[in-house]
Amino acid sequence: MLRWLLRRAAAGVVLVWLVATATFFLVAATPGNITQHIESQRLTPEARARWRRDFGLDQPLPLRYARWLAAVGRGDLGHSWLHHRRVAVILGETLPRTLILASLGLALEILGGIAVALVQIRRPHGVLDRLLSTTTLTAYALPTFWIGLLLVYVFAYRLPLFPPSHMLSPAGEMASGWPRMLDLAHHLVLPAVTIGLTGMGAVARYLRGSLLDERLEHYVLAARARGCSAARAMWVHALPNALLPLVTLVGLSLPFLVSGSLVIEVVFAWPGMGRAMYEAALARDVPLLMGGTLVATIAVVVGNFVADILYTVIDPRIRR
Amino acid sequence: MRTTRAVVASALAAGLLLLQAACRREPAALGQAVPPSGPQQGGFVIVAIPADLATLNEYHWGTGASELQVIDMLFPTLMQEQPDYHLHPPSFAPRLASSWEFSQDNRTLTFSLRRDAFWSDGVPVTAEDVRFTFQVQKDPRIGSPGLEIKDFISHVEVVDPFTVRFHFTRVYPYQLMDANDGHIVPAHAWGKIPFEQWAETDFMTRMVTCGPFRFASFSPQQTLILDRDPTYWGQPRPYLNRVIFRVIPEASSQVNQLLGGQVHVVPMVPPRLAERVKSSRDVDLVEVPSRTWGFIAWNNRHPLFRDRRVRRAMTYAINRKNAVDTAYHGFARLAVGPILSSMWAFNRNLPQFPYDPEQARALLREAGWLPSPADGTLMRNGTPFTFDLLYPATNPIRQDLALMIQSDLAKIGVRVRPQPIEYTTMVARLESGDFAASMSAWEEATKVDLTGTWATPGPGQGSNNFVAYSNPEVDRLIAAARLEPDHTRAKVILDRIQELIVEDQPVTFLYESTLLVGVSRAIKGADINASSVFFNIEEWYWGS
Repeated sequence: MLRWLLRRAAAGVVLVWLVATATFFLVAATPGNITQHIESQRLTPEARARWRRDFGLDQPLPLRYARWLAAVGRGDLGHSWLHHRRVAVILGETLPRTLILASLGLALEILGGIAVALVQIRRPHGVLDRLLSTTTLTAYALPTFWIGLLLVYVFAYRLPLFPPSHMLSPAGEMASGWPRMLDLAHHLVLPAVTIGLTGMGAVARYLRGSLLDERLEHYVLAARARGCSAARAMWVHALPNALLPLVTLVGLSLPFLVSGSLVIEVVFAWPGMGRAMYEAALARDVPLLMGGTLVATIAVVVGNFVADILYTVIDPRIRR
Repeated sequence: MRTTRAVVASALAAGLLLLQAACRREPAALGQAVPPSGPQQGGFVIVAIPADLATLNEYHWGTGASELQVIDMLFPTLMQEQPDYHLHPPSFAPRLASSWEFSQDNRTLTFSLRRDAFWSDGVPVTAEDVRFTFQVQKDPRIGSPGLEIKDFISHVEVVDPFTVRFHFTRVYPYQLMDANDGHIVPAHAWGKIPFEQWAETDFMTRMVTCGPFRFASFSPQQTLILDRDPTYWGQPRPYLNRVIFRVIPEASSQVNQLLGGQVHVVPMVPPRLAERVKSSRDVDLVEVPSRTWGFIAWNNRHPLFRDRRVRRAMTYAINRKNAVDTAYHGFARLAVGPILSSMWAFNRNLPQFPYDPEQARALLREAGWLPSPADGTLMRNGTPFTFDLLYPATNPIRQDLALMIQSDLAKIGVRVRPQPIEYTTMVARLESGDFAASMSAWEEATKVDLTGTWATPGPGQGSNNFVAYSNPEVDRLIAAARLEPDHTRAKVILDRIQELIVEDQPVTFLYESTLLVGVSRAIKGADINASSVFFNIEEWYWGS
């Protein structure tokens, strides 16, 4: 087990390095640089040239790469060229905001999916089952931004129940303690529901399929034969086993936690890492872009690693 | 079971309603948004901005027009430029400097500073701050564009703590404007940071300011808050307690929130949404001629567009008036030449290029382009007249214009392929000359100097003339206009330059846009003009 862990950890480090290196050279190969990001006559070509030199863009690419790698090795992610602040500070601010939104969205997606599947399985192929299948799969097929905009239109403008954007209101930002938390929760509703609605279909579909299979397994029939109630057979016996494929699905969703909520962040003006990365990519802010890539890659590798370990814990057969 | 479910559902619904009720206290929670009546102190204004301001240090990389408008509320200039450039070169009103005087030979300019101006940390503003600011502007380690703007200022001398003297290497018309360019920064606070470290310094954490407002807080991608500076020395003192800049990336969300009252000012309303704002009873749409103008950039080095007859033909073949009116919904004027029609130096008698496809065909025939019998595409020596027209992928107005241009040019047999392209990539291609045509725009300064955009750059000299336009007569006249101290005589030279450029059509002049500002009607006293949306922010107040 320990050897397996070490091997996985070493492979993870190599993977992170490969992704970061590939990103570095891809960004360098993209046409344009940060000094070409602003359209202004005030910005003379001489001034642009001076900034290029300041950012080290006049240095040969291998040298720039070696310097960046050495700095990362020392734990220094550098300064954002666009914001003039330390990359680590920017990521430290934006990553938790993304995690709050994405994990709540993911939780809604899983819990909602489970609830839908449990309702569906009561009368498989019945009207309600079909109706829920069609609805959740339609939500799954629709573009996330469209669902987001629809929810904003209905629940922020037509019925002004929730704020259309941002993480906090100006009042919330200046508040602390409970009022701030409440303001945050209020702002979380629409974006988190958007994430939940779009992903719910897949979870429900997986679970419904595996519940249908598990229901007919011998151990469930045996439980029923022993006098166990239908509900107990479902909740205690079938459900835990039917949830196994979901672990894989959730494992695969983990990258989304750090990097996948970009669209949601743009639609809801959520000040998270996705949006910071998007702006960094447009502005060719190399240090911020590289820092974000590094964090996202590490999170994905660690997430998958944890999912693998969880799998072995949940399903003893894997350990053998 | 059913009862439990009902209880859970009701609890959930009640929770959501409570949450919603608890959170809908927005403006009131901040204090008084709308004081009773008349110009009195209090309240706050929320301004929508599309992205975080890159910096509040003007001499950092990334300072654009949005940053400068905010920096202007925090840091003083020696004088305040007036929005009168449509009559003559801009005049100036006192600001940090109470008076100024040129020497007899016009080679030195002496400013007397106010004695009652203080930085937000209580230190007086002195001539040393002005000298330090000049040092910042000229130091190549900082890299500010001021290095070129201050080309003809040799040094700045501290005469006494409240008198500062600028020494010029030559006499020219824009000496006052160039001396005034750039906001004064605090020597005692920022002078401690070595210039090598400026690019990597977060100045938001070192805000020592000297304006009507002071920096209060910054939450990335959310808000920037400025509070009234109670020690402000200028007149009038601001009525508003606070100005909140709120990042709302989507233009339609900005307008929705303006109409819903969550935001009070939208500095850039897109023309397509202007009617919605106009029809609202609670919001005013202020129309100000902006200094942004758009054009089709023809690469004058490209084999297709080297010939000026071809470029003139393109302008004749495009129904520019129709295209501009459609894309801008009537909120832009047709551009005619290299100087904005709202500027004092504009030549009102420039040659016109009306929509005239026949004239275009004739010019192209003269240049050797003849329609192919098969499909009417223009051909010369077996080569069809076809090219890519680049435009920024995120700009829907330029996309609309590109499509209308494609359709107009197709009528005379020119095949255009509109190419949406990511903005920075587009600039890189334009700078390297790797393009045939693009939909571009400039934001013009109030200083009329055509050197950067229209003169042929000398060897090794940088230039914004990316279309590679070159006319020796224009070069000679631009140099002459730059040195002519009398603006009436300079106008004669500038008139001739405009005629020559318009005849050459190095670009097809398309539009001069109108700045559309959405402002809540309850805000009174705002004079939103071509200089800045926040030109007289000190005088804004909440009406009844």
